[in-house]
Amino acid sequence: MKINPPKRPLQFLRWFCREDYLDEIEGDLMEVFIKQSESSPRKAKWNFGWSVIKYFRPEFIKSFKQHQPNRYGMYKSYFKISIRQLIKNKTFAAINISVLTLGFSCFLLLALYLHDEMSFDMFHRDADRIYRITQHEQQDNGTLRNISSVAPAIGKELREQFPEVEDMVRLSAFGRVTLGNDPTNRTHERALSADANFFTFFDFPLLEGDAKTALQEPFSIVVSERIKEKYFGTGPALGKQIWSGYRREGQPIYLTVSGVMKNFPKNSHLQIDILFSEATWHSLYNNYSQYVTTEWVDTEYTTYLKIKPQSNITSLSARIETLVKSNYPANREFRSSFTLQPLREIHTNSSQLESAAEQFNANSIKPFYLYTFAALGLVLLITACLNYMNLATAVAIKRTREIGTRKTLGAPKTQMVAQFIIDSMLFTLLSFLLSIALVYLVLPWINIFTNKEISIGALPLEWLMLVTAIILFVGVLAALYPAFIATRVAIVDALKREVKIGGSSLSVRKGLLIIQFAISVMMIASTLVIYQQLNYLRNKDLGFSHENLVVIDVNSRNLRRNFETVKTEFGKPAEVLRVTASTRVPGEWKSFPVATTKSNQNIIGTETIFVGIDRDFLDTYKIKLLAGRTIENPVADSLKIVVTQLAAQQLGLADPIGQMIEIPRVRYGERMEELDTPFRVEIIGVVENFHFESLRSKQMPVIFGALNTSIQVIDYYTLQINTSNWGNTVETLKAINHKLDPDTPLEYTFLDTRFEEMYLADTRRGQIFVVLSVIVVIIASLGLFALVSYSVESRLKEIGVRKVMGASVSSIVGLISKEFLILVIIAGAIGLPVAGYFMQGWLQEFAYHIPFGVLVFAEALIITLLIAFITIGIRTIRAAMLNPVNSLRSE
Amino acid sequence: MTQQSLGEFEELVLLMVAAQHDEAYGVTILEGLEEKLKKKVNISAVHVALKRMEDKGFVKSRFGGITEDRGGRRKKFYVITALGKKMLDAQYDLRNSIYKQIPKISFG
Repeated sequence: MKINPPKRPLQFLRWFCREDYLDEIEGDLMEVFIKQSESSPRKAKWNFGWSVIKYFRPEFIKSFKQHQPNRYGMYKSYFKISIRQLIKNKTFAAINISVLTLGFSCFLLLALYLHDEMSFDMFHRDADRIYRITQHEQQDNGTLRNISSVAPAIGKELREQFPEVEDMVRLSAFGRVTLGNDPTNRTHERALSADANFFTFFDFPLLEGDAKTALQEPFSIVVSERIKEKYFGTGPALGKQIWSGYRREGQPIYLTVSGVMKNFPKNSHLQIDILFSEATWHSLYNNYSQYVTTEWVDTEYTTYLKIKPQSNITSLSARIETLVKSNYPANREFRSSFTLQPLREIHTNSSQLESAAEQFNANSIKPFYLYTFAALGLVLLITACLNYMNLATAVAIKRTREIGTRKTLGAPKTQMVAQFIIDSMLFTLLSFLLSIALVYLVLPWINIFTNKEISIGALPLEWLMLVTAIILFVGVLAALYPAFIATRVAIVDALKREVKIGGSSLSVRKGLLIIQFAISVMMIASTLVIYQQLNYLRNKDLGFSHENLVVIDVNSRNLRRNFETVKTEFGKPAEVLRVTASTRVPGEWKSFPVATTKSNQNIIGTETIFVGIDRDFLDTYKIKLLAGRTIENPVADSLKIVVTQLAAQQLGLADPIGQMIEIPRVRYGERMEELDTPFRVEIIGVVENFHFESLRSKQMPVIFGALNTSIQVIDYYTLQINTSNWGNTVETLKAINHKLDPDTPLEYTFLDTRFEEMYLADTRRGQIFVVLSVIVVIIASLGLFALVSYSVESRLKEIGVRKVMGASVSSIVGLISKEFLILVIIAGAIGLPVAGYFMQGWLQEFAYHIPFGVLVFAEALIITLLIAFITIGIRTIRAAMLNPVNSLRSE
Repeated sequence: MTQQSLGEFEELVLLMVAAQHDEAYGVTILEGLEEKLKKKVNISAVHVALKRMEDKGFVKSRFGGITEDRGGRRKKFYVITALGKKMLDAQYDLRNSIYKQIPKISFG
């Protein structure tokens, strides 16, 4: 019977023991062990193990250091060979570097973008302690109205009563002010007012003026550099005065510039150009102080709190609720709750909030997009690295002879792996530097596109290091694979150049390629759908004309009164073909008043848009009158209406002309208003249906009434003009406007532009998709190119033999292409349904959209196949044209 | 020649190597020691002593042939060197001379 010593101690001994001692020690141990186990095997085993442990001491442990006399020389040689390889395989090197550069650049850009999004509002010293009060009010219909502003008294009381509130600042928005000392050159500017401590609460730097006192005096304003330059030129503006409208009693108001602030950074949720002192209101209105201290319901004031460290925020918001409840007017039901929104979250967590003005939630984004971008960045980086892996493996096969020679000469595997790593580090570093350069080049363009101020310099060191580390780590990881694959081959095979590397890993790489192409097909299909839909939106007949129409906003009483005179004046220039006055215009950005209608049979119609028009409206907008007549005289026809077919249909009126209907109430945005006396009107005309709003929403029924109704006043004049000489026309119009109303500047828009703006977000999305598609397709094509190269490289001999046997170039190209085109078709089968699912969802956002068909899928697939075929062709044709002598000679 | 030391256990091992002249390797030395000392000795201790004395030049070694019963591992035989013998003699003389100075004491 043969007794074996315990395995593990023996392995351990063999691992650590010096080679020259091992014979003696292991032999002696064995002898002792065998002798002992005759009496007691258990004890012998124990003893053996124990003895091995006792050998574990410096005298017996071998040196784990590699004996390497001249390392430097070796590395120099590796480096030199790497560079030579790079020069020798120029195409490969170029493709490799561009693959990596593209991946790195995308990753870097997305990291920069993410950092910018995450750094929002973080430049304030006390950013972590600042909160905004938000209010959530239960509505009649059960929904929750979330508002980012609260009543003025809340902030004031909080500062006085709650010890943990260190400081408080309130902002209120009041639309726009008219500014300008020169009566002929005045403009409207959006403005806010703030408590006096605004500049000590937040850290927005002042270029002129004192942060502590700038907003103390009434009628003082702080303006941004932008506004300062516009109104006061380049010199200092402190103390200068500017005209801004009239008091109620008639004397003009002059505002004094008490400070100039640096333009707000783009990564601030507050975007303010003009800031009034709160004291201005107090001196303009006698009872304002009372309003501010006793109002608990209104939501006019956006309120920020600075909370002392270590305070309990949840309990604080509960106490705010209690406070407001106890002060709420007795005749109103209290249905609100309050939360404190941390400054850090305002940027990413405000999309559900209604805010007092857009200056309060500038550039808000949903966190979903941030996650998507982060994922996208990683995916792009990883695919780029995977492609690099494929390409590098293909190149590595070419070098098997070198590997074989090195192996024969006794190079250890680790050293050869090191060489490959040096090789790829070279690529990685080069691509990294190139991608930084590329990012520098494209950043200005991206900044314009995203309306941001991103710069590489703004990235803090930790981020920079993290990004660099990730890139280099992934780069090295990608290099390890070809290194191990290539150095694993047997010497003889390597020298004979008969290498079949990893059959299974090839299928893995094919799988990766399928994924890349699936994404490409998805992107291409989505881009096609988006563009087709945008095209559809632009070209759809809306039922009225919006070409060559200029809309003039009415901002003052002067233009509103005597609209007939205004119309005649604006109609005087020869370029103006038609003028009409109305309460609302199509493509409205302010909300439409929505009327509830009731027919005389008591059928309640759905909510209907109400627009007051004059006699020229239908002609100017080319809305077709189907029956009856339109509103002609604002006074005589003030109880008459014209309805769209849809409105008539919904009221159940087969013959609407002459029918009486009733309008019991009107909704203005969120506010529902019962009309004092139910508004009874007679239908005098029917017009064809048209789309008054974005095609996202379903066509609404519309009723046209006269201008002189209690529902709404004149807000717009629409001019149909001949745009051949717009520069002159606009000057003429300005002059007319100045004559009619010397104090208010002309404000106009082209209706076309406004319709374009409705789909701005979609157009943007379309552009982003184009750019991303191009990048994804490039990366996938390069990946395909790599795999084809790899396949061709290892089949050179086969191709040679085929040619000798009489195969034509095209048949060889076909042979290789077929294999890969099948992969692309599989990718299509995976990608297209996914794209279909997402695009179907997107199209559902539009009430009116293109039919979703197979055609788009086919187009996307054909485009992808074409790209793939070209990619494959470039590589295979060259291989197929090679003289077979070259590939067969080496045998 | 520098003064070289010889530890107590080393001396015993060296004596044993000398005693088993040209036949001494790890296991025989171990067994000889265990027999004389009448206690268990760990083989690693013997090896440590042997390596040290080889470094000091008291013993020299040679490999024996491969035998089956040692798992194919060769034996390493140790022989005492002239220096080793001189060291042992010096130790013996030293002890002897001191021993002789002991007055006759009777312990009953």
